[in-house]
Amino acid sequence: MSYTFKRRLSRNFIRFCLAGFVCVCLGPVIWALVTSFLPLSALTSTPLDLNPLNATLDNYIKVFDTSRGLFSGLINSFIISLFTSAIALTLGAMAAYALARLKMPGSTLILMVILATQMFPAIVIAIPLFLAMSRINLIDKHIGLIIVYLSFVLPIVIWILKGFFEGIPQELERAAAVDGASPLQVFRFVILPISLPPLFATGVFAFIESWNEFFFAIILTRIHVKTVPIAIAEFSGQYTTLYGQMLASAVLASLPVVVLAIVFRKFILEGFVEGAVKA
Amino acid sequence: MIRAWNNENRFHRRRFRLGVFFMLPAVLILLVVLAYPILASLILSLQDIFIASDGIHGRFLGFDNYTRLLGNELFQQALLRSMYFTLVEVVCVVSLGLLVALLLNTPSGRHAFYRVVLLVPWALAPVANAVLWKWIYNANYGVLNMIVVGLGLSEENVVWLGRPWLALNMILVADIWKAVPFIALLLLAGLQNIPTYLYRAARLDGANTWQTFVHVTLPGLKTPLVISSVLQSIWALKVFDLIYVLTKGSPADSTVLLNYLAWRETFSNLNIGYGAAIADVLFLLMFLLALAYIRALRPRRALLNGNNP
Repeated sequence: MSYTFKRRLSRNFIRFCLAGFVCVCLGPVIWALVTSFLPLSALTSTPLDLNPLNATLDNYIKVFDTSRGLFSGLINSFIISLFTSAIALTLGAMAAYALARLKMPGSTLILMVILATQMFPAIVIAIPLFLAMSRINLIDKHIGLIIVYLSFVLPIVIWILKGFFEGIPQELERAAAVDGASPLQVFRFVILPISLPPLFATGVFAFIESWNEFFFAIILTRIHVKTVPIAIAEFSGQYTTLYGQMLASAVLASLPVVVLAIVFRKFILEGFVEGAVKA
Repeated sequence: MIRAWNNENRFHRRRFRLGVFFMLPAVLILLVVLAYPILASLILSLQDIFIASDGIHGRFLGFDNYTRLLGNELFQQALLRSMYFTLVEVVCVVSLGLLVALLLNTPSGRHAFYRVVLLVPWALAPVANAVLWKWIYNANYGVLNMIVVGLGLSEENVVWLGRPWLALNMILVADIWKAVPFIALLLLAGLQNIPTYLYRAARLDGANTWQTFVHVTLPGLKTPLVISSVLQSIWALKVFDLIYVLTKGSPADSTVLLNYLAWRETFSNLNIGYGAAIADVLFLLMFLLALAYIRALRPRRALLNGNNP
């Protein structure tokens, strides 16, 4: 009797903790969502007026005004993230396959170097890259930002895909080789087709990373290729009192990546998080 | 027989050639965007760089930038603050992450819903996160003041980002909130790798919950805990977006951390050589942490190879 009581008590305690955890995780986000639908007059009244009848799409419509830079920011971010992930995926898959299966000399060293590159401050490479790009006129160009983004996206892609390629049974490749396929054909007709789902998921991950990037963007863009994070930061600096619009633009910028992360959570949980522990 | 051997040999040669061809583009890109700038940054930090109408010029200084740096009060403060920030962040994030991981490892916490919840703060764009907290901390209409005043903890609204020490800690809170999910997921993966027979054995030996935690769970989590601490300290040293959006270093430069200082000196004050020197100090700190990370991974590998660690 007392044992079941104790168990029920501890189960209720855990449920209570879980509820608290959900509130802390989602509370700030839900608060931002709710206020992004309220007019300024409701947000600045005391006490706060949360009447749902006041809900409006006004903030969302206003942030799309071209002078705000959010719309062009979304387009710039989309172009840059798409090309960065496509290039990183193509070159990263080739390099990862070579490291995992083609018995390259010094592959452990290369992998350690790749790991180390994840761990130094972006500012170190940002200064010389800024100077070099000013010289060859790549500042404020899409291509300039794409090249720089490869510096942190390409290593992650290689790291994740190498782990995946190592998991493919070698018998598959051997069977194809016995049938007379060249190594390139093995890669093209055996490895690539069965790797499409992880390739796609890695691409999504690379997309999220490039989409959220702020530090390089603020250094390497001026007017024409401002990305979404830059647009939001500038907005919150310039129109400090337009709270609803500030939050609406933050919601719009986060929505695509949060949805992608939730849809591809299985991959992120299994592939990336555990990869960091197992290496 | 000889023909088969020749075929095999030719096959390996072709694989090797393909490997070189496959590695080449990625290696070239990484040389251009990583190796070159890291070396260039070290050389820049030894120079006085100035931008003139006909381009960028440099004058060799030796270690002057570094000696100037070490004697500079703002740098010393930024270094101390960065260390405080990193230490508090690591301790809070790893302990909260462990709590969340333990919670999500219980029978009622295993539901996929909780993992989705955990992914939301993680996936949020860092700048959007900063804007979110700017709104929560707002001195006049922020929800934090509503709660604090509503509960009677304070008579009047607090200017959260207006006081030196307080502002830094508020930035810490916002950063911890965003950082806990990833570490929690990492530790959760570690928890699930602990063999269940260890728990069963502990229960047979009559161990209570606390004893099981100390003698089974914690030792089993050693590697993930070390890795989380190292990764989190590296990320804490990199913090930039939050400072940029929330305070821009104010009030009175009290929220200037190393990474922000390096950026401001280089790109606002155009002290490029001096900024590069700060960046390289930061680089050194992170490099030491990266070595710790690689060391933490090594015992596991030695074990897999059958050697004694």
